[in-house]
Amino acid sequence: MSTPDKQRRSFLQGAALAVTAGAVSRAGAAALPEAPLQASPATQPPLHPANGRPYQPVVTLNGWSLPWRMNNGVKEFHLVAEPVVREIAPGMKARLWGYNGQSPGPTIEVVEGDRVRIFVTNKLPEATSVHWHGQRLPNGMDGVSGLTQPAIPPGKTYVYEFTARRAGTFMYHPHADEMVQMAMGMMGFWVTHPKDPGFMRVDRDFVFLMNAYDIAPGASVPKVSTMLDFNLWTWNSRAFPGIDPLVVRQNDRVRIRVGNLTMTNHPLHLHGHEFSVTGTDGGWVPPAARWPEVTTDIAVGQMRAIEFDATEEGDWALHCHKAHHTMNAMGHDLPTMIGVDQSKVLDKITRLIPDYMAMGDKGGSMGEMEMPLPENTLPMMTGRGPYGPIEMGGMFSTVKVRKQLARDDYRDPGWYRAPAGTVARPWNGPAPSAARAPDRDDGKPTLEVVKPGMQGGHQGHH
Amino acid sequence: MIPHVSRPLRAAAVAACALLAGCAQLSPDGGFGQVEQASSTRLGQAPAWNRTPQQTQASSEHVRQLLHDPANSTPRLASADDAVQIALINNPDLQADFAGLGVAEADLVQAGRLPNPGFSFKRSHAGDDLKIERSLSLGLMRLLTLPAASRIEQRRFEQVRLSLASRVLSVAAQTRQAYYQAVAAQQGLQYQKQVADAAEAAHALAAQMARLGNISQLDSAREQFFYGQAQTSLQQARRLAAQHKESLARLLGLAPDFSLPAQLPALPRQLEAVDDIEQQALQQRLDVEAARTELEGLQTSLGLTRATRLVNVLDLGALRTTESGKPVENGYEISLEIPLFDWGEARVAKAEAIYLQGAHKLAAAVLDARAQARLAWRERQDAYTLARRYQDEWLPLRQRIADENVLRYNGMLVSVFILLADAREQAATVNAAIEAQRDFWIADASLQLALGGRPTQGKQP
Repeated sequence: MSTPDKQRRSFLQGAALAVTAGAVSRAGAAALPEAPLQASPATQPPLHPANGRPYQPVVTLNGWSLPWRMNNGVKEFHLVAEPVVREIAPGMKARLWGYNGQSPGPTIEVVEGDRVRIFVTNKLPEATSVHWHGQRLPNGMDGVSGLTQPAIPPGKTYVYEFTARRAGTFMYHPHADEMVQMAMGMMGFWVTHPKDPGFMRVDRDFVFLMNAYDIAPGASVPKVSTMLDFNLWTWNSRAFPGIDPLVVRQNDRVRIRVGNLTMTNHPLHLHGHEFSVTGTDGGWVPPAARWPEVTTDIAVGQMRAIEFDATEEGDWALHCHKAHHTMNAMGHDLPTMIGVDQSKVLDKITRLIPDYMAMGDKGGSMGEMEMPLPENTLPMMTGRGPYGPIEMGGMFSTVKVRKQLARDDYRDPGWYRAPAGTVARPWNGPAPSAARAPDRDDGKPTLEVVKPGMQGGHQGHH
Repeated sequence: MIPHVSRPLRAAAVAACALLAGCAQLSPDGGFGQVEQASSTRLGQAPAWNRTPQQTQASSEHVRQLLHDPANSTPRLASADDAVQIALINNPDLQADFAGLGVAEADLVQAGRLPNPGFSFKRSHAGDDLKIERSLSLGLMRLLTLPAASRIEQRRFEQVRLSLASRVLSVAAQTRQAYYQAVAAQQGLQYQKQVADAAEAAHALAAQMARLGNISQLDSAREQFFYGQAQTSLQQARRLAAQHKESLARLLGLAPDFSLPAQLPALPRQLEAVDDIEQQALQQRLDVEAARTELEGLQTSLGLTRATRLVNVLDLGALRTTESGKPVENGYEISLEIPLFDWGEARVAKAEAIYLQGAHKLAAAVLDARAQARLAWRERQDAYTLARRYQDEWLPLRQRIADENVLRYNGMLVSVFILLADAREQAATVNAAIEAQRDFWIADASLQLALGGRPTQGKQP
């Protein structure tokens, strides 16, 4: 459960406490760097570099960055591929595959020019590999099993080593049985910071991966054979209201880096601000080539970095603009009940199905309704705001812009208190007369469109 | 044993009467008392023979009481036991059979009576010749054969009584089974009504939705089709319920204008283990008793034949002829012959063979009774296991599926039509469960019949 209190506590405790050692045996520990584990699904504070080249760290939404050790000038990381339990949102846990206790795995942060050595231990029941998505590296380090390396058998540790040549936004994921392994949640973020910490410096740099699962209501393991019809649309394997807000100080320069490892594109939309797409898969976009946007489409397998100045105070929605992606598990074969009067048949139905309740006749809104659901199943639309139900799930969060926050303070400041007179309000005066279109009298016959089911002269006509 | 022909008639008549004393009287209950007792010990319920208007009146009153429902003005049959009780005192076929007992007793008494002396007068003309014959006669044959005939009739009467008691048990079992059939059919009908209601609701909803444009004509037509199917099933259930109620009413000797309990009796919590089922069958079954009685009779007849080898007193073979599918034929034949050529050795050999035949028949009856008891016991066990499984596992599981579907409906994961379709499937399981429960109770009644009465519970193994 990630109640705000608990989130804050684990947040304050920081990476040092939340991260625990012990995934790998002591015998191996002499040669291998520690493989830290993360148990909490809450957003962890940025991991400031204790050694190596300096950089401005990122914040992984509902995630963490992987600590490393320096070994003769080489940054050594240790990833453990293993089954994990990930809380998708309070009330629902998924049995996934991930890295170091979480899915997605920890974010790996390095600096342009760093020599990087990554040990990968396979604790999965099948062979795996890690592909470092977007990197320039020796062909044998590209992690495509069968093509560039033998797959890592279960129980074995392989090592990857290369130089992070290009600064930018990257991902990692298996390239072995990837249909299954990615459907099970095997993925992680990678950020290569520029050598010059002042280059395109921002105040807050958020990262997350878009992923999707098909977990049957009442189940907890994803259906790995699903191709497109997913029912849980997530950021870093979290669905709203399980996604933490992106907390920023007013007038901060904010970067949000997003990678898409789902099977469809996602038009990411920010409210209240325009942003620029400053980074793509290939690197940084020169200022002259940047497009101002409020929505940017992130295609399958792509990464985007968007930037904006958080000038406007408030709680601003940030979401995928595909309406079904801001919902949790819902049926895909439901008849529309809008306008259907069930009162006459209700009695007969409830005689056979006592717990039956007529729904949907006024639309899809679940509103304040709270009805029992199958276990381990998230309500279709959920999340409450200061003014009532937000009726959102899935790929939805908020950018919370506040004055006077400390530099590294990412704690949820609560709901925005709008100054008096700045919130839409009920109108209690006389109704203004509606504007009418001028009468059309151009002598042309009026085209009448009759749709099936429309009331009027064609009643009963099917 | 047989009075000598040359003795005076009077002496012979006196001797015969002394011999037959006590068994040649009509009893006040027409021999029904023993039938009644056999039924009471085996069923715990007594039949009534409505011979007089008073008895008929008493039985009608008893039936009325049994059907009286204090909570309701319409007559109500409360239990299978009540149904059996009503059949035992009101089933017209059974009453007809009871009357047959009277016929048998009359025959028995008749057989034990000395024939009345007869007087004949004959006057005939042959031309001018007038002949007048006067005679006083006493049926010599009857007198001679009277003791043997009495014994035979006595046994025959015994057999009529046994077969009548057996008939009572069989009517009781039939009534019990008809009762369970009728209650189950009615219970199925009630459930089918609910299903038809739900199908009607789905149809109405779908038709409305198709009119509004929310679903296709195809889906609407499908729901209409399901509705039609449910209506047909309802009609069939109604017909079945009427048929079974008529069958029951016929056994009760009533019109079917009484109500039945809404549900079958609950299954017993567990079946008591009985370890002497076969023994019980041998002790209680009337067919075994009949075979035993017959054998005893044959033994007596064999003795008789040996003693009276010159007199063909009876044809043993005709004593009791049973053929499957036909009523038992009882009777005897007596003839007197003059022993000129045949000195009776063959007749004795035949009697011995017939006695042996009877002994084997008894063995067969015992074997049969044991097998039937075992099988009926096994079948009741199996029916119980199945009915319990429905009640303890499958119905709760069906309920869980329904509950889970409602949860899915709550989460807008499935539509109301899925709920209704599931309800239809649920109905099939509920109907099967009702049938399994019914089959247990029918098997229970069959076991009672196979044991020749109610099983008495033995010790746990």
